[in-house]
Amino acid sequence: MLSIRSRRSALVAAGTVLALTGAAACSSSDSGSGSSGGAAHKKVRLITGVKSDPFYITMTCAAKTEAKAKGMDFGADGSAQWDVSVQRPLLDSVAASRPDGLMISPVDTSALTPSLKQIQSAGTKVALVDTTVTDDSIGITRISSDNEKGGRVAADALAKLMGEKGSAIVISVKPGVSTTDARIKGFTEEMKKYPKIKMLPTLYDNDLPATAASQIQSTLAAHPDLGGVFAGNTNTGQGIATGLKQAGKEGAVKVAAFDAEPDEVASLKAGTLQVLVAQDPAAIGREAVDQLAAAFEGKSVQKSIGTNMVAITKANMNDPSVSKYFYKSGC
Amino acid sequence: MTADSKEVRPTPAQKQDPPASEGAHRTVPDWLRRAAGISELWTFVILVVLVAFFTIAAPGKFFTQYDLTQIAVNAAIYLVLGVGMTFVIITAGIDLSIGSVLVLAAVAAGEYNIHHGGPDAGWGTVAICVVIALAVGAGWGVLQGAVVATGKVPPLIVTLGGLGAALGIAELATGGQDPAGAAATHLQNSLGFGKVLGIPWLVVLAAVVTAVFGLVLGATRFGTRTLAIGSNPTAVRRAGIGVGRHLVKVYGLMGLLAGLGAVMWLASYGTTSIAGHSTDNLKVITAVVLGGTSLFGGRGSVLGTVIGVFIPAVLTTGLIVIGVQQYWQDVAVGVVLVAAVYVDQMRRKTREQA
Repeated sequence: MLSIRSRRSALVAAGTVLALTGAAACSSSDSGSGSSGGAAHKKVRLITGVKSDPFYITMTCAAKTEAKAKGMDFGADGSAQWDVSVQRPLLDSVAASRPDGLMISPVDTSALTPSLKQIQSAGTKVALVDTTVTDDSIGITRISSDNEKGGRVAADALAKLMGEKGSAIVISVKPGVSTTDARIKGFTEEMKKYPKIKMLPTLYDNDLPATAASQIQSTLAAHPDLGGVFAGNTNTGQGIATGLKQAGKEGAVKVAAFDAEPDEVASLKAGTLQVLVAQDPAAIGREAVDQLAAAFEGKSVQKSIGTNMVAITKANMNDPSVSKYFYKSGC
Repeated sequence: MTADSKEVRPTPAQKQDPPASEGAHRTVPDWLRRAAGISELWTFVILVVLVAFFTIAAPGKFFTQYDLTQIAVNAAIYLVLGVGMTFVIITAGIDLSIGSVLVLAAVAAGEYNIHHGGPDAGWGTVAICVVIALAVGAGWGVLQGAVVATGKVPPLIVTLGGLGAALGIAELATGGQDPAGAAATHLQNSLGFGKVLGIPWLVVLAAVVTAVFGLVLGATRFGTRTLAIGSNPTAVRRAGIGVGRHLVKVYGLMGLLAGLGAVMWLASYGTTSIAGHSTDNLKVITAVVLGGTSLFGGRGSVLGTVIGVFIPAVLTTGLIVIGVQQYWQDVAVGVVLVAAVYVDQMRRKTREQA
């Protein structure tokens, strides 16, 4: 951990230098594309957290469609991994092309702040999508799922499947991630409304399915009345499903997971997962484009938007109003 | 399973009886000194103490058939990887790439499965997938072994490069996303979740692999040469044995077992879990070192590795069963690891002075 951190600070320093030189280059020629008003022909770029993640693919597709409809010049890219050192070069190269608008899912709450500040001061309108940074001055708008509400949606759906009794546990990826922490908070608080459900202490698997599998089996040994699990992400969900199957408890212990990626939908169909809490990445992408367009046209911009969450179960998954929330693996 | 093979030391130190801890030379009975000299004993005592502690702390919950089975199932893949790593570390090498090689082999087999029937694929496809996984793993291992054998690049760097490259290729092949339908239902229901006489097939397979390669290390020329190379490669070379060729075989074996690990992973998890193997190498190296295999080569045993795999597994499960906050398990494994290596060093020192 230490070595990663020190490497990161070195990168931050290097990145700051880059950003500073970039900004100097920008200020010397303030041509831009002028503030002639109107959203058409504005250059808008999207940088996502993980390029291959269906969540971001869905967001990108929706943003692209919306931008096209508004006649914008739209382009998107994403980091190969969830890593500051991977996303920063992308951000710097986009900054060098001086777009009018930038939509970004920053992968760190503070390490990208200097770069984003430079871009913003060079005149680019920044919209933060999905994830955010701690510095409030960055971004004209922030659009993300209401994760706490998502946790509550998951709790209610899971409690119903558990018959409102038994033990329940959260197995998540790691502590200190704003989105998952908010989900766990919402989930735990909502579960308090069910007096017959006992919440066990949260476990973390460091994104390793094998660890999740062993944790769920150990929990079963200690708490045979375990009735429900809330899985932090896809990897964790897979590990839990395997662990339950090894223990012969598949289906008896209900599993709720976040997101609605294609393989999760397949698991829901197969009965290894019972509840999916889908975010609405398409709405995040659309809203971001709309807000940027409003900013270009000089209209008022909403500072913060929370998008909807929906619980998907086997019972409602074929309903078109629900299945539209399934994530896409390509446009 | 009985492969304590530290007898094979062509160095002068070999002549010494295994030393007991310092200061105990005269006062302790001979049999006890001898027993204390067995490198696995210390870690085995730790394991027994842990099991006893958790059994008493959580009566009726820990030492049950259910719990023992789940510990064994979850340890099976690490055990297979640990057996290969034992050979590599005994040659004074290291293999950091195993997690990535496992992913690469799983992706190769998974992609074949997807295009030949997906989840409903027949037994023929399953067999070919197994062969593909083993071949990819072994091939990658041989490649790394060949580079190590040149003696120009240290194993740490060779396999660090391999770690990145193998994962990168797997990500290129899949677009970084776990493909759906990577494992056939036949494979999952047999090797993954099937049982024989109440024992999961995964555990049986791991036990067979452990027993076979324990014997290979302890009772064959291949094992003897592995230990000899770790002790003194120059002497081995002068004895007319091809050190390079042997290293290629050892790293090839590691790769082969990583390929087998990939098959076991696909069987039990049904997916390639590209992002889920980044710390396999550290886990497995921890287990091997805990088991008394020296990072400086020349000494180690498969039996020790078995114990080394089970200590973290028992700790993880036990701490959850008795309801201790989970961060303690990382602390506990870390402390035990450092202590084990410290003892290892002290033992070496007394041996060399004697």
